[in-house]
Amino acid sequence: MIDLSKLNGLLIDDIPEMRSAVRIQLTDCGLEHCDAARNIKEAIEKISANRYDLIICDYNLGQGADGQQLLELVRRRKILPLTTVFLMITGETGYEQVSTAAEYSPDDYLIKPFTSQTLQTRLQRVIDKKLALRAVYVHLGERGDKQKALAECDAMLAQPSRYSLDVMRIKGEVLLDLQRNDDALALYQAVLDQRATPWASVGKARALAARGDDAEAREHLDKVIDAYPNYLAAYDSLTLLLEKNDRVAAQKVVERALKVAPSTQRQRQLGTLALDNKDFTRAEDAFRRAVDKDRSGFFKSHDDYSGLAKSQVEQGKVQEALAAVKEMGQHFGHSAELTVHQAAVESIVHAKAGNPVAAKAALERALKAAESGEGIAASASLELANACFASGDQEQAKQILQGVAEDHQENEAVLDRAQAAFRTAGLDSEGEIFLEATRKRMITLNNDAVAMAKAGELDQASAMLDEAADRLRNNAQVSINAAIAALMKVQRQGVSSKLIGKAHRYITQAHRANPEHPRLDEAVNLYRKLAPADAPTLKVGA
Amino acid sequence: MNPLIAGAIHDAKNGLNLLNTWLDEARRTTPSLAIDEARAVAARVGAQLVELLVLYRAGEDNLRLVIEDHDLADFCQEVTSEIILPPGSNARIEFDADAVAMLGAWAFDAYQVKLVLQEALRNALRHGKDNIRFAVATQASGGLRFTVSDDGPGFPQEVLDGKTRAMDSASSGIGLIFSRLIAERHATPDGRHGRVELANDGGAVFALVLP
Repeated sequence: MIDLSKLNGLLIDDIPEMRSAVRIQLTDCGLEHCDAARNIKEAIEKISANRYDLIICDYNLGQGADGQQLLELVRRRKILPLTTVFLMITGETGYEQVSTAAEYSPDDYLIKPFTSQTLQTRLQRVIDKKLALRAVYVHLGERGDKQKALAECDAMLAQPSRYSLDVMRIKGEVLLDLQRNDDALALYQAVLDQRATPWASVGKARALAARGDDAEAREHLDKVIDAYPNYLAAYDSLTLLLEKNDRVAAQKVVERALKVAPSTQRQRQLGTLALDNKDFTRAEDAFRRAVDKDRSGFFKSHDDYSGLAKSQVEQGKVQEALAAVKEMGQHFGHSAELTVHQAAVESIVHAKAGNPVAAKAALERALKAAESGEGIAASASLELANACFASGDQEQAKQILQGVAEDHQENEAVLDRAQAAFRTAGLDSEGEIFLEATRKRMITLNNDAVAMAKAGELDQASAMLDEAADRLRNNAQVSINAAIAALMKVQRQGVSSKLIGKAHRYITQAHRANPEHPRLDEAVNLYRKLAPADAPTLKVGA
Repeated sequence: MNPLIAGAIHDAKNGLNLLNTWLDEARRTTPSLAIDEARAVAARVGAQLVELLVLYRAGEDNLRLVIEDHDLADFCQEVTSEIILPPGSNARIEFDADAVAMLGAWAFDAYQVKLVLQEALRNALRHGKDNIRFAVATQASGGLRFTVSDDGPGFPQEVLDGKTRAMDSASSGIGLIFSRLIAERHATPDGRHGRVELANDGGAVFALVLP
C-alpha cells in the first residue's frame, strides 16, 4: 500500500457540496494535503504554481467547460508533468465522453456514485502504475530524451510485469516520434497478434501512414472505426491522413467524431475544413459553436472568430461577419497580433462584400500593425496574406507567405495553412510550386553554409546563418546551424564572450521554436563542451 | 422505447441508489437478515434498470462501447467483490486469482462487461446450491472466455435451444438479451464479434466470449 499522506493532491469541482463530499472520501483514503479549485481558471493557476502528485477532477466543470478540456490544455502547455496522476470523476451517462479522449486521456476515471473503498483501490492502482512507469515518464517531458525513454522501455520489457502492455504502448509512441516506422509497425503487429486492442490498431495505421502506405492505412482505419466507434484517436488519425488529398472525406470524418464527443478544437477543425470545402453553412455553424460553447474563454482562438466572419460573408451575411470581427476584439487582450488579425479579417469581409475601398483601408491598418509588431504569430500573418489575396495584391501576399514558410520551414501544419491561403485565392498549383521552391531554398541555405564551413570559409558561413537566424526566429534548424557555426569559430579562433553569447542566444531561440528538434542536443553538447565556466548556462536539454 | 419511459427508468435508478445508501446505513446501525435481503433485491433491480437503459440507447442507435485495456486480475476482483451473497446461505464464489494474474490485460468495455458478469453471477447464486465457479481464460482460437458455472439444475432445454428469451420462467429474460447485445457489440477490425454461450455441465454454464 502506498502511503497517500505524503502526497500532494488537487481536487477540481465546480459544485461546493461535491467538493466537500469527495474531499471527505479522499481523507478516508489517507490523502491529507489536498488543495481545491472551483473552475478551470483556478485549476490552471494552481497547477502552474504547485507540483501535484495527484489531480482529481470532475468531468463537468460548468460554464461549458469540462475536465477533458482542462487536461488537454495543461498537458499541451506542458505545465502538468506526465508523472502526475490525473483521475477523472464522471456521471454514469458521461463516462464514454471521458474515456474517448484521443491524444490526452486521464490515467483513470471513476463513475459516480462510488464508495471510499472503491476510490482507495483505484487511487492505489493508478499511483502504483505511475510509480512503476516513472523511469520512462521522466524522459518524455519537455526536457526529455526520447532515446533514453526508449532504453528505459526496453529495460522494463526485459522483465515481464503487469505493466508490460503499458510500456509497449509508450514505446510505440516513442518509435513513431523518432520516425522508426518499421520498428513501430512491428511492435504494434506483435501486440495485435496476441490480442485485439484499439491503441495498437491505430498505432499500426499511423505506422503504415508514416511509411507512406496511405491506402492501406486508410482502409485499416475505416475498419478500426467500425469496430471501435468510440475511439477518437482513430478518427483523428484518419482525418490527418485524408486532409492531405481528400478534404471532403476528412470533413465527414470530423463530423462523425463530433457526434462521439464535441470539443472546441474539433469544431474549429470542422469549420476550417468546411470553409476550405466551400461548405459555408456548415463552417459557420462549427465556428459559432466553437465561439459560443466555451464561455470560460480558455480554449478560444482568434481563428474561431475569423473563420466565423469568413463563412458568414461568403453567404452574404456582411453585417454578421463584421459583428464577428468586432466580437473577436472583445474577447482577447489588446496586442499587435490581435490588431493584425482583426484588421486582416475585416479587410477580407469588405473585399468579399464588394467594398474595395473599405477593404484597402483595413488592409493598410493590418500591414502597418504587422510592421510595428514584433513576433506576430503565424496565424495572424497567414490571415494577412489572405487579406492581400482578397484585395488582389498577390505580390504582397506571396512575400508574406514566403516569410512564414521560411520561418516555419519544419512545421507541416503552418505550411499546410500557407498552401490553403494559395488555394483559397485559386492559386493551388502555383502555391505548391512556390512553397516547394521556398523549402528548397532553405535547404540550400543550410547545406551551402555547412559546405562553406567545411571548406574553411567559416566566417562567411557564420555571417550567412546569423542573418537568416535573426530574421527567422521560429526556424529551429537555422538557429541550431547558426549556433554551431559560432561554436566552430570558438574552436578555431578561441573563446570570445561575443561568440559564446551568440551561440547561447541561438540555442535558446531554437529551443523556444522547437524544444524537440532532433539536432538540438548536438548544439547543446558542443556549447557545454566549449563554453568557459563563467559563460551563461543553458536552460535547455537534459 | 419512448424517451419519457427512459427518463422514468433513469429517475427510478437514481431513487434506488438513494435507497441503497439508506439500506447501507441501516445495516451499519442494526444489521439484520431482512436488510441483507433488501440489499440483494435492490442491487438486482438496479442492475436491471441499468440494463434496460442500455437496451434503450442501443435502440436509439446511441450506444457506443468504450473499449480499453483492463488488467484482468483487477477487473475480476472488482466484479466479484461487489456481489452480495444471498443472506444466510453458505454459497461461495470460487475464483482462481493466480491463473487470472497470468493473463495480463484485455481490451473491452469494463462497465458493460461487469454488468453482464454480475448478472450471470447473481443468476448462478439464485439457481445453484453452494459452489459457483467464476473463471477466465484465453482461447486457443483467439479471444477471451469468461465462464460462470453453478451446481444447480442447469438451464431449461428451451433456453438452450434459444426458443425462449427467458433465462428462467420467473424473469423477463432481459439479462440474457442484454448480455447478447454487449457480447455482439464487442468487435475487432478484422470482423470478429463476441458471443454468449449457454450449456449444462453439472449445472448451468454461462460463457461470455470476447474477441
